[in-house]
This record gives sequence, structure tokens and C-alpha cells, in this order.
Amino acid sequence: MADTVRLEKVNKRFGGVVVADNIDMMLNAGDIIGLIGPNGAGKTSLFNLISGIVTPNSGTIYFQDKPINELSVYQRARLGISRTWQNIRLFQSMSVIDNLLIGSREYKGESIWQTLFKPNDLKRYSGALKEKALHLLERVGLADQWDTQVSEFPYGQQKLVGLARALMNDGTCLLLDEPMAGVEADVYDTMKAVVREEAKAGRAICVIEHAISFVKDLCDSAVFMFNGQIIAKGSVDDLLKNKELTEIYFG
Amino acid sequence: MEFIYSTLIMIGLYIILASSFDLILGHGGLISIAHPIFVALGAYASALLSMHFGIPIVLSILLGAVFAAIASIGLALASLRVSGDYLLIASIGFQLGILQVIKNVDFTGGPSGLSDIPSLIEGTARSLSYLIVVVAVALAVVLLIRWIVKGDYGRAITGMRDDEIALTALGRNSMSIKITIFALGCGLAGLAGGLYAHYFLYLTPEQFEIIESAAILTMVVVGGMKSTWGPVIGALLIVALPQSIKFLDLPPSINAPLQGLLYTALVMFFLFARPQGLVGAKAAHSGRTKHTKGNESAGPRRDKNG
Amino acid sequence: MILQIIWTSITSSSYYILFAVSFALVLKVTKIWNFAQPGFMTTAFYMMYWATNNLSLPIPLSLSIALIITILASWAVDKYAFGALRRMKSGGFTFFIFTLIFSEFVAYLFTLLFGTEPFTVFPNIFSPVIPVGGIVVSYWDLRAVTITGILLAGLYAFLRWSKPGRFLIAVSNNDRLAELYGISSRQAYTLSMVLAGILCTFGMYILGTKIAVHTHLSLSLILFAVAATVMGGIGNVFSAAMAAVFLSLLQGFSVLIIPSRWQNLLLYFFFFMVIITMPSGFLSFVRTMKGRRE
Repeated sequence: MADTVRLEKVNKRFGGVVVADNIDMMLNAGDIIGLIGPNGAGKTSLFNLISGIVTPNSGTIYFQDKPINELSVYQRARLGISRTWQNIRLFQSMSVIDNLLIGSREYKGESIWQTLFKPNDLKRYSGALKEKALHLLERVGLADQWDTQVSEFPYGQQKLVGLARALMNDGTCLLLDEPMAGVEADVYDTMKAVVREEAKAGRAICVIEHAISFVKDLCDSAVFMFNGQIIAKGSVDDLLKNKELTEIYFG
Repeated sequence: MEFIYSTLIMIGLYIILASSFDLILGHGGLISIAHPIFVALGAYASALLSMHFGIPIVLSILLGAVFAAIASIGLALASLRVSGDYLLIASIGFQLGILQVIKNVDFTGGPSGLSDIPSLIEGTARSLSYLIVVVAVALAVVLLIRWIVKGDYGRAITGMRDDEIALTALGRNSMSIKITIFALGCGLAGLAGGLYAHYFLYLTPEQFEIIESAAILTMVVVGGMKSTWGPVIGALLIVALPQSIKFLDLPPSINAPLQGLLYTALVMFFLFARPQGLVGAKAAHSGRTKHTKGNESAGPRRDKNG
Repeated sequence: MILQIIWTSITSSSYYILFAVSFALVLKVTKIWNFAQPGFMTTAFYMMYWATNNLSLPIPLSLSIALIITILASWAVDKYAFGALRRMKSGGFTFFIFTLIFSEFVAYLFTLLFGTEPFTVFPNIFSPVIPVGGIVVSYWDLRAVTITGILLAGLYAFLRWSKPGRFLIAVSNNDRLAELYGISSRQAYTLSMVLAGILCTFGMYILGTKIAVHTHLSLSLILFAVAATVMGGIGNVFSAAMAAVFLSLLQGFSVLIIPSRWQNLLLYFFFFMVIITMPSGFLSFVRTMKGRRE
């Protein structure tokens, strides 16, 4: 089975700080991999490397067996890599549905040519896109609030919108950065259900999480990072039984 | 009467400038004040093309606008590297640098400028006809910008202003959005420049200094950024008010600085008394606000940018 | 000949240094690109001119009057205008508009009061010269260099060794942290503006005793100060001073290679390129290239 995302010997330093130390990692379709470790271990940096916000000092990142080091952030997203953010980063001056629409992998409205010279095509296309967005909002239980300004929402619901927005990409790789941090129980359940559905649909999912229960609940396997290195990989149960890791984590 | 027509034509041209500037600054969040230089490029290009190459004036005005749009790439590329205060300062350098070229090159007429520019319209009702043309163009520009901003493209622009990195991580090419906004905004400025040149028939580099940048800037700020009619009202107010003291018939040595004092005092008043402008902004794609149970909405604070 | 150009460039850079240092200092401490500075420069000059010519006061008195009024103006703008804008949580952009408009307001005000004719502080700006080695040195040159030197040394000593000076540096590095240590950032902001006002007043004295000043001159001079600040590295006041000297020398020497009419273009082009490639300034760019940082 071809892996979706593969990192080979990826290294990244910021000044004196090593955030990625000879990283070898694979994300396969249908997997839900937990990325765990103490703060500052380099977990979000890994996401930044995969999504292209940061370029590695050395090493190669592959997407469906093709190297993507040279591709910019938006190009990688168009290949099918999508992510959520630790601090959500919704577009605060827009409504829920607008946040989702702009997240579609292909967005014809981005072309000024289409806007100016093919308005009817664009209108039809936007209609279809809106259907898709509303469907996603139904899955996260926010369909009836599609028109609300996101800045009005409490934290947990903003996270749901963020998740739905990432799913608009409909891509093969989904990176979730601490999706569960600070959410209420019902949001937690909704997210868990959605993530499971996405994995079943064949996406490669990687989740950064501190909530061990979520990791145990959902992830097939986990990767433990510390000081930019991957210290351990394996099933969640095995990692949790490892005394050394527990010490590093809870120190 | 001529004076009134000229003033109204100036208002019309400034409406084009303020609206196109608001597209770049208000909607796009791209902090450049170099708008007047694109007016200059459009004006000079159009004037020179019609004077030396015999190109029909309507065509030369359009070509001038295209020239201004292409020149904006320099600024757009700068905006890809820096933003906020730095972009602002860079745009000052950009404007003044190009002004230096205009001032020192022979074919633009140098510091004394270009005169005897052919007029777009001739004949007895010249000023009135020109006014009608300018008003029509101004209206078209305002509506065009409104249409773009309220549509799907506008969603991308808003996203770019709110959080550019998040936008690119969704697959949107923010670089091309910036280049497009600059090209559109600056091209429209160039269009206004062409219209200006073929009415007033005289161009000098002095007409395009930083003081002009400040004027257009204040129109947008006083009128209200990110709104359709804000720049229109701003243009009206900022041009009309100082001009109105001309009726007091004061000697020019008092009249000119007094106009300036009036205008600057007006702007400062608005900056402090009504910073959101006369027409407060309503974001193009904001949703309905829902009535929460009396608490303020939670949610993460916006990242501060620019 | 070369030495003469060097000497003249250095002495001309004296007022540029003072304007650049003022601008850089305010930027460093308050993070504001203070385009209101031309307004203070213009105020200082015309107060000096008025006291000398209309009140017939001797120059030390005129200078003092100009100092007091300029300091008052700087203080007032910081307290009332900047204070209000800070309370309204305005963006850098709003500060820019206000400061620029303020300077324009001042320019128009003094045009109304003094007209558009340019003049120097004294009607007669003749300055005796003495040949030193192969160079011609004028009394103006000596005054300019001495005043600038003393002010720069004083500023350095103040920032380095005095308590308020070190508070300024603390606030400029991290104003919230400084607040935790009981340092009032508001006072620091005001102090930096006042210092800038003082430096600018002396700068206008030096300038105005050589070149005829008109109400809009300061607005064009400020660009030089901005260029020097950007090139010296935002946050480094004394390298802004060095950049001012460098720019002045560049202008002086470029006459030899390029026609004078292109000098300004060179300056703006250089300035544009610097700010988009090295926003942290030339020195830190060099350091980065040397690989000491990532």
C-alpha cells in the first residue's frame, strides 16, 4: 500500500534549536496516527514541514511517492494536504459558510478571470460548493448556523468549524493540531465520530494531542517526539506502558 | 461656472481614486500609499502616446491604465516580501523613486511638466460632457469594485486580510491575489490619470507627491474603509470643503494655506472623533450576528497584523 | 578635492544625523514611525526665526525659546494625540496618517503666518573660513560638528548610564516586561519624544544657519531620516547616525560619478531595496549572511 505522506531524514533547525532531527515517518491511508510528546518537542513544526510553511534544512518529504519539497503551501493544499491549527485561525470577519467555501480544494472564485468574464459558470459552481459545505456543517451539527459570524461562536464550536473547513479540501492527508484542547464533551464526541469516518473513507490522518484518552480512543498507533526526535513508535498501549516515556512526558 | 465643473470633475476623478485605493488598502489590507504614482503613470503614458504616436485618445487612456497596472507589479512583489509598516515605507520609496525618474527624464518634460496635451472632448459643452463621462466612469468603477468584493473573489480577499497563512494552507494562492488587487487598483488609478490628463491638459510631477497620497488616504479613512460608498463620500467631502472657502474671495497667500489647514484639521477631527469613518465598515462577507445569552462572544482574539 | 568632499559631506551630515537619531529613537521606543517629526522641526525653526528676527533676541535665547516650545509640542502630541490613538488601539497605519497630517497642518499654519519665502535664521549666513591642510573649514562647519558631537555623546551617556535612559531602553526592548518592573512605558514614550524634540531643534539651528528653510522643507528632509533609520537597522539609534553619515558621503561622492539630478533616485532606489530585502537593517543582514544566525 503506497504511503500517503512520507518523511525521509528530515532535519530542521531554527538558529540553535533543532525542531526536527533526522525524522523518518510515514502516514498511510486509513490510519489515524497520534503525535504525542511534551511541549516544544517539534510536533507542530512537523506539521509545518509537511504543509510547507517551513522548509527543511535537509531530507525529503514525499506525497504519494512524489517529492514535494519544492512545492509552496498552497500547492501542497491543492494536492490534498489539509490541516487544522492549534489556535484555530478561522477568518473572523466571515460567516461560517464563507470560512468553509474558501477552504475548498478547488475554488474557482479565486480566478479574477472567472469572476469578471464567466459569472454564470461561477454561480453554478458556487451553488454546488455551497451544497457540499452545508453537508459538512450537518455532520458537525452546525448546519442551521451557516450564516452566523464565526467570531460569535464559543471556542468549541469554532474548532468544529475549523475541522469542517479542513474537510472541504477532500484530500488524502488530514493533519489535526490539538483538535480536542479545551472543548466540551459533545464537541469531543462529534469530532471523534467525524475523524473516524474520515479514516474509514481512506484518508491518512495525523493528530497532535495532549489528551491521552483521545489518543487511546481513536488512534491506531502513535509517535512520541521529544526534542525534535522521534523517540518511539508503536501502538498506543505499548507507548503508554513505557516507563521512560511517561517520565519524559509528565516529568 | 467653469470652476464648478472642474471641481465636480475632480470629485469624480477622486471617487475613482478613493474607491480603487480602498480596494487595495481597505479590502486587501495592503498598506501602500503609492497610489498617486499610478495616476501619474497612467496620465503621462496616455498623454505621451496620444501626443507622439498619434494614438486615439480613448485608446491611449486605456493603454495608460494598462501601463499603470503592469507597473504595479513592482509594488506587488514588494508586498510579497514585507507587510505592514515596512510595506508602507517601501511604497513611499517606490513613489518618490519613480517621481524622480519623471522629473529627470526629457521626454516627460521634466520638472516643468507636459503641456498642450490633446483634449478628449472638444467643443462648446466640453466641460459638461467631460463631467458626464467622468461621473459615468466613476459610477462604473464603484459598482465594479463592489461587485468583485461582494462575490467569491472578495471572499478570497477577505481571507487574505484576516489570515494569509491560513488561507494559503487551504489552497489559495495569496500571491496572485495580491498581484491582482494591485493590478486592478493601480490600473484604475491609471485610468483616472488618463482622464485627468486629457481634461486639464497639463501635467507636472508636483501633482503626484506624497501630499496627494495623504489626500487620497484621508478620503478613504474619513469616508470609511471597506465600504462601497465611504470612499465616494470621503472624496466629496475632502475636495468640496476646502474648495468652498474659495467663495470667501481671500487673497491667495491666505487662501491656499487656509484650505490646507481646513483639510488637515478636518482629517484630524475624524481620526479622533469617528475613526471608523462616516460610513462605518461592514465586512463584505460577515454573517449575521446571533444573539447569545447576554455574554460577549468567546473565541480566540484575532492575530494582530499590519 | 576628495578630502574636501569628505569633509563637506561629514559636516552636512550633522543635521541629518540629528534628524535621523530623533526619528530612530522614537521608533525604537514607541514603535511609531513618527512622521510628526517634520512638524516639530518646522516649529523649532520658525520659533527660532521669529525670536531672532521679530523679537531681536540673541541666539542663545532664541534657541531656548525654540527648545521650550518644541519640547512642549512634542510632549503634547505624545500625551494627547498618541495617547488617544493608543487608547483606541489604533493600528500603525492610523498613526501614520495622523502624524503625516499633523506635519502638514503645521506646514500650512506656518505658511499662513510666515509666507512661502524661504529664509535662514539670520539674514546673513556668511561664515568665515580657515584653510586646514588642503581643506576649507568654515566656522559653521565647526559649530555643526561640535554641537552634533556633544549631543550624540550626551545621548549615548544618557541612554547608557542614567536611570531614565536605561528605562527607555528597557521599554524599547519589551514594554510589557518593563511595566512588570515598575517602569512606566508612557513616561518612556513621552521622554523619547521630548529628546527627539531637543535634537531636532538643534538640528534645525544648524540647518537654518546654512540653508534657507521653507515650511515644507522638513517633510522632504524626513525621508533622509527614514532612510538612515531603515539602513541602520530599526532599533539601533547610533547605527542610524552612522547610516546618515554614510548616506551623506554617498550623496557627496555620487556627484563625481552620476549627474546630480539622479542622486535622489539613487537614494530612493537604495532605500526601497533595503527595506524590502533587509527590513532589520544592513548590519543584521551582514550578520545573517555570515551565518551567525539561522
